[in-house]
Amino acid sequence: MTILQAPDRRDHPAGRSLARKRSMTQATSKRRGATYELERGYRRMIIPAILAVAIFAIVPLAGMLALSFSDYHLIRGSKGEFGFHNFARLLSDQRLVNSIYVMSVLSIFGVAAQVVIGTAVAVGLQKIVGKWRLGRVLFLVPYAVPHVAVALIWLSLFTPTLSPINAFFDLFGFTVPTFLTTQNGAMFAIIVADTWTNFPFAMLIILAALQGISTDLDEAAAIDGASRVKTFIFITLPLLMPALLMVTLFRFIDSLKHFPMIFVITKGGPGRSTQATNFYAYVQTFQNSNVAYGAAIAVLLFLMAALISFYVARLNQRVSQ
Amino acid sequence: MIDNSPEFRIKKAIGTTVMLLLVTFAALPTLWALLLAFRAPDAVFEPIWESPLKLTFDNFFNITRSDFPKALMNSFITAGLSTVFAMLVGVPAGFALAKSRVSGKFIASWILLLLRMAPPVGFVIPLFLLYVNAGLIDTYAGLVFAYMTLTLPLVTWSMWNSFSQVPDELIEAAIMDDASLTKAFLLIALPAARPGAVAAAILAFLVAWNDFFYSLIITRSDTTTAPVAVMNFISFDSVDWASIAVASIALTLPILPLMAIANRYIVQSLSGAVKG
Repeated sequence: MTILQAPDRRDHPAGRSLARKRSMTQATSKRRGATYELERGYRRMIIPAILAVAIFAIVPLAGMLALSFSDYHLIRGSKGEFGFHNFARLLSDQRLVNSIYVMSVLSIFGVAAQVVIGTAVAVGLQKIVGKWRLGRVLFLVPYAVPHVAVALIWLSLFTPTLSPINAFFDLFGFTVPTFLTTQNGAMFAIIVADTWTNFPFAMLIILAALQGISTDLDEAAAIDGASRVKTFIFITLPLLMPALLMVTLFRFIDSLKHFPMIFVITKGGPGRSTQATNFYAYVQTFQNSNVAYGAAIAVLLFLMAALISFYVARLNQRVSQ
Repeated sequence: MIDNSPEFRIKKAIGTTVMLLLVTFAALPTLWALLLAFRAPDAVFEPIWESPLKLTFDNFFNITRSDFPKALMNSFITAGLSTVFAMLVGVPAGFALAKSRVSGKFIASWILLLLRMAPPVGFVIPLFLLYVNAGLIDTYAGLVFAYMTLTLPLVTWSMWNSFSQVPDELIEAAIMDDASLTKAFLLIALPAARPGAVAAAILAFLVAWNDFFYSLIITRSDTTTAPVAVMNFISFDSVDWASIAVASIALTLPILPLMAIANRYIVQSLSGAVKG
């Protein structure tokens, strides 16, 4: 939680616990035997988790890595070739380039929309509407809808013969363009559906951060004659930065995993134009039976996730010290 | 502060308008799904204002005759079991990571984050091949194992965070009184971190309940979960929109009360800083 609060370290629980830890170390050095016993107990509690993570996660990941160097094909099997050929192929794969482009567009515009809308709703709930509890619940509903259902609902809204939005604009003689027949339109549809279900996540975190910001600052700024907009930009926004950064990172990482939205709304189409990288790995593995190449694409994605999560873990460590 | 200047009123009007637009954006798809669920089959493609009275409960009865209720049951079983197992393993680990001075905590936090962030396609390819050989395709065990890759890192990470907020003194005092570590954990730390534990369980359940990808690949007709079964209402030449709407509502309804309980902790569990 520390990351969500105004960066005043003196009164910080982490700061206090650090001081306490130091004094504790001195006291417990006399009872080293007991501490040793305790640490052994702690280790026993961690071991099942380490085993479980090893079995459920590390083994499959090692398998993925091994497959990515092989030539395994779901139907043809393997000729026993082992090497970097899949990764060499990645470098010259136009479909991979397109998949990374699609993934970037979906991630950047999707996350931006979620953060902007989430912030707007959070600020609105906090300032304009006051403490409107029902509003908070109402805005949470989209977050509770499972992604497949989200995708299907938005697919219906983007189906011209069915959509009430099209019917409504038809009343005024205005024809809504069809979205799912062009690459940009299809990516827009995915972004809208993704934004709808995920902006409440941004809203929740930013709302929590806003509640941690003292209202004194706003009042002081108002007395000094600053407008509301200026107060927001120069006082509230800088204090929200850690929360905004966290939301952006978490949403960005999740958006690298886009699957149900693409599978349901566009099926990767029109043509192959909206196959984002994660979806492309699925297509290569399970539709083209090219397991080894699919695994190589997955390794690429995994490396990206490893880099970003390392950054998040570092950020986390810095904030908590 | 009371301000009645016209400028202030205009700004307030703009703010209210933006908020109304956002409310519409948030509420419209939900209302549309509700409407679709009650729409008579012959009126699905007619705008509501042309035939506002063509409503029916039949769609709800129709869906009970499909495979969907069984899939819903499968979802409950697999999401529930994977949550229980993740809690059994992840809660003690979270406690130990929060309170011990074991080295390698940074690595642990990185691995937990990485597992949450890693693309599921990477896990699913080797799991699929393994399951084909081990006969685990289309079994509860296979799906529950796969869900553990989602639920265990989540539970461990959020319990690490929850236990960090339990004062060390509480545990130390219990140990001083000659309580065993297990006792201190079960009787002191766990009750103190109960809200966090409830939230972690709910979040783990939600992740497994929401899953589409694993179920699509490693289940067939017997153990298919509800998110994949919804797709059965789309056939090659037609789409049963009314059933899809009913199924979407059935998928969402169990989540709403959980979300109402857990929404405050979502913030904490998903982005909380783990204290080193």
